[in-house]
Amino acid sequence: MDFLTLTPFETEALLLSLKVSLWAVFVSLVPGIVAAWILARKKFYGKAFFDSLIHLPLVLPPVVTGYFLLVLLGKKGVVGGFIFKLTGISFAFNWKGAAIASAVMAFPLFVRAVRLSLEAVDVGLEAAARTLGASKIRIFFTITLPLILPGILTGMILAFARSLSEFGATITFVSNIPGETRTLPLALYTMTQVPDGETSAMRLCIISVVTAFFALTASDFLSQRLSKMVKGD
Amino acid sequence: MKSFSRGGVSLFVMFLCMVFCSFGYVHSAKAAGAEKVIVFAAASTTNAVTEIGELFSKNTTCRVVPSFASSSTLAKQIDNGAPADVYISANPKWMTFLDDKGLIEKTSRSDILGNRIVLIAPAPGELKIDIHPGFKLLEILGDDRLSMGDPDHVPAGIYGKQALTNLGVWDEIAPKLVRAKDVRTALVFVERGEVPLGIVYSTDAAITDKVRVVGVFPEDFHPPITYQAAIVKGNNMETGRAFLAFLKSPEAKNIFQKYGFLTK
Repeated sequence: MDFLTLTPFETEALLLSLKVSLWAVFVSLVPGIVAAWILARKKFYGKAFFDSLIHLPLVLPPVVTGYFLLVLLGKKGVVGGFIFKLTGISFAFNWKGAAIASAVMAFPLFVRAVRLSLEAVDVGLEAAARTLGASKIRIFFTITLPLILPGILTGMILAFARSLSEFGATITFVSNIPGETRTLPLALYTMTQVPDGETSAMRLCIISVVTAFFALTASDFLSQRLSKMVKGD
Repeated sequence: MKSFSRGGVSLFVMFLCMVFCSFGYVHSAKAAGAEKVIVFAAASTTNAVTEIGELFSKNTTCRVVPSFASSSTLAKQIDNGAPADVYISANPKWMTFLDDKGLIEKTSRSDILGNRIVLIAPAPGELKIDIHPGFKLLEILGDDRLSMGDPDHVPAGIYGKQALTNLGVWDEIAPKLVRAKDVRTALVFVERGEVPLGIVYSTDAAITDKVRVVGVFPEDFHPPITYQAAIVKGNNMETGRAFLAFLKSPEAKNIFQKYGFLTK
């Protein structure tokens, strides 16, 4: 049964991956819903540009995104330097930076899913609520948000899955530090680089597959339950 | 609906055209490259080998196609059948890895270059560090980190680890490392000022004026840094042999020395 026990190296990478991915999804939630709402409901000058900007991480090589993040959010970066001086929080070479890298890479997927479900919402329901005197905020939280909940969940799953597999932007931005930024894909990469690492690499492959599979199945189950609830079945 | 489908069809036809054009492109590139030599070289030799390759292409009709990555990546690629003709490794270990698998021509294997590892800092500043056993590297770092190639697999990092171990400071420094995926990435982190100190080859420090060498690791604290080159077995071994001979010529040695290498 020895092969069923995770080594400390594997446990560390797995737990770190889960932590980084959960945080990546968490920090994307509010900005993602706002961005999706703007894209679905607003018409403004430069909307196409805004749309492309949000989708950029999906099509750019991840290394490019990682390098941008280093230049922008590093301790000496334009934005990162400012944040560091203001709050003492640094994203360079720690798990927070890894979570940011994953969040940026996963953001377009999340926004897309939420936007699609927002576009499917019957605006007649919102209009009816308004005629009954509900405020905009109240309409959003009592009508729109419950209706798009399945879309948000789908988006979160996609974002979570994308975060679990994030490699290029992470290794470029925050390098490969055990226990800090060495997530499953980075640990796997390290093992493929070591002369006798084949067995470890294969084990990490299997762990990755099992984790991804489990996450997808669980979320599928959840989202089915949720859509039933929304439809009131 | 009708105009939509017509638009769709013409888009699809355009797509097919592009696919076939690119197919043709690959073939013409193959035809033009009848005489070429594919060189897999360690990332640290990027500038020098590129320049030597250009010179070789000019002197002969043979085109040099270099591919640069960490020595470990390249060795793994060759092991998996990558079509390399010449392999230049920054570490004899990876050459042995291929040698054991019978993938390189044993007799062609030779030491071609030497290098040193140095401690670097971002260019502005006066700091000099005297590297001796038990030197206070951790104190100098403070809360910051030290960037170097990942000591698990990047040769520059492996040498760095050996030197720090023999100097008796490895255990305290190990948790403070930024493990870069290759030596050039470690250099970039120092260039950008993200870390105050880094360990790279003296040849890496020589290609940029954004970093400064603050100390050279004494040679008796790590195994000599030796670059080896060999011909990879395959059907293009004659051109490989010609390029390998050229690497040892005075012209090539001049270029290597210009980039800070010690030639053998």
